[in-house]
Amino acid sequence: MPSSYTIERRDYPPGDLAIWIFILAELLVFAIFFATYAFTRSNHVALFNHSQLSLNTNLALINTLALITSSYFVVRAVAAIREDKTRLCIHWLIAAVMMGFIFLVVKVIEYHHHYHNGINLRTNLFFMFYFSLTFFHFMHVILGMVILSAVAIKARQGHYSSTDFTGVETGACYWHMVDIVWLILFPLIYIMK
Amino acid sequence: MQKTHNRNRYALRPCTVIYIILVSFTFITWLIGKSSLTGLGFSLVVLGIALIKGFMIGDYYMGLRGINSIWRWVIILWLFIPGCLITWAFVSAG
Repeated sequence: MPSSYTIERRDYPPGDLAIWIFILAELLVFAIFFATYAFTRSNHVALFNHSQLSLNTNLALINTLALITSSYFVVRAVAAIREDKTRLCIHWLIAAVMMGFIFLVVKVIEYHHHYHNGINLRTNLFFMFYFSLTFFHFMHVILGMVILSAVAIKARQGHYSSTDFTGVETGACYWHMVDIVWLILFPLIYIMK
Repeated sequence: MQKTHNRNRYALRPCTVIYIILVSFTFITWLIGKSSLTGLGFSLVVLGIALIKGFMIGDYYMGLRGINSIWRWVIILWLFIPGCLITWAFVSAG
C-alpha cells in the first residue's frame, strides 16, 4: 500500500488515482490564473505595486503558517493510520481542519478590512485578480476541510486500518494540493513587486 | 507491526525537518516583504523559495518521491512551467 511519507518505489501516487486527475485539473486552472496575473501585471506594474501596499502581509504570514502546519498534521494523520492508531489519526485530522478554519477566519478578516475601506473586485485590475484568486483558493480550502472531515468521520466508523488507508491518503493529497497553490499565491500576490 | 511502527517513526523524521524548513522559508519570504525589498532580483528570489517549498510538499508530504512513473513529475512540472511564465512576465516588466 502506498504511503505519503515513506520512500517506497512504486508506479502510482498515493491515494485514489481519480483524485490525481482532479488535482491535475485544479492545478492547471491555477497555473493559468498565475500566468495571467503575471502577464497582466507586466503592463500595469505601477498600479499593481501600489495596490499591493494595501495588503496585510502579517495576515498572509499567519495564513501561510496555518496551511503549512495543517499539511504537516495531515502527514501525521496518515502516519497514525498506518500504525493502526485510528484515534490519533482522527485527532490529527481534526487539528488540520482547525488550521483550515483559522485560515478562513483570517481571510474573512482581510476581506472585511478591504470591504470597510471601499475596496472590491471593481476597484482596479489588481484587486480583481486579488479577490478572484484568493476567493477561488478560499473555496478550495473549504472543500478540503469538508474532505478531511469526511475522512475523519469514516475513520471513526472504522473504515480505515494499517492495511486499508487509501481514503486517508486521498484526502491528504487534496489538502497538500491546496497548500501548494497557496505557497505560490502568497509571494505572487503579497510580496513580489 | 513493530517493524512497521519503527519504519513509520523513522520516515516521519524527514517530514518534521521539512516542516521546519517550510516555516523558515516562509519567514524569510515575509521578511523580504516587510523590509520593502523590491525589484526583479528579490521577486525572483521569493519565487524561487516558493517553488522549492512546493517541490518539498510534493516530494515528501504528497509522497511523490518514490514514484517511478510520469506521476513523479506532475508537481515538479506544475511548479516549473508557471514558474518560468511568471519569471518571463516579471523580467519583461523590468
